[in-house]
Amino acid sequence: MTMAPANNYWLVLPLVIAISLVYSASRHESWPRIWIHAVRLCLWILGILIGTTALLLLINTQV
Amino acid sequence: MGQAIVPLRHPYRAAFLAWLVPGLGHFYQGRTGKGWLYAICILSLYLTGFFLGEGKIVYWRWVNPLNNPEKFCLYYLGQFFVGLPALPALIQGTIHYLAPDQNPLFWGFMAEPPQNVLNGLQPRLSKLVEIGTIYTTVAGLLNILAIYDAFEGPAYLDAESPGDATAIVSALSAGEAVKAGGSA
Repeated sequence: MTMAPANNYWLVLPLVIAISLVYSASRHESWPRIWIHAVRLCLWILGILIGTTALLLLINTQV
Repeated sequence: MGQAIVPLRHPYRAAFLAWLVPGLGHFYQGRTGKGWLYAICILSLYLTGFFLGEGKIVYWRWVNPLNNPEKFCLYYLGQFFVGLPALPALIQGTIHYLAPDQNPLFWGFMAEPPQNVLNGLQPRLSKLVEIGTIYTTVAGLLNILAIYDAFEGPAYLDAESPGDATAIVSALSAGEAVKAGGSA
């Protein structure tokens, strides 16, 4: 199986979604709360990942 | 919104079942919604990682981590918690340790691959080996959360009105193994 290197970054998405859903399901029992917590956590993780990547790219282009 | 009280049926047995197959402990307790969520998320993550690594990234070998840290399969400590899907690796590793000359069972399924096969994976699959290892390990670590949820219930009681909270507290103080729950 061969994949273009850039496509590998998309593989972080199912990982983050699964982590968010399982973590929030372990916190709550009611479904509305599970979904809300999962979406919020997913956005937080993705935001931090994208922010960190952007920062590292910025530093790399300045060096 | 009214809160139903969900009994945590046989927590130890449910925790064992949750380890054996992700989500099974919750099915056993009648929390089928959460059982499906755990089963789909954890098993799909594990199987995706397993196939990304062509089935050669989940294996176990019995070595002393202090004497031989390079040979120690650290990732398997996480993968182990997926339960049954990762168990053949432990069986193969144990058979190889006890009888090194014996051929591995089931055509070497989840047995430790020969060193030349392991060396060949990285150049051929590149980052997919690492991603597959991360997927399978994280799946196991997530199942620890699911096992704990089957044993202890959710972290928050989710009471949305003072009446609900009173009912939950009085049920807990009566010594019942109960948690507040929603529609799951």
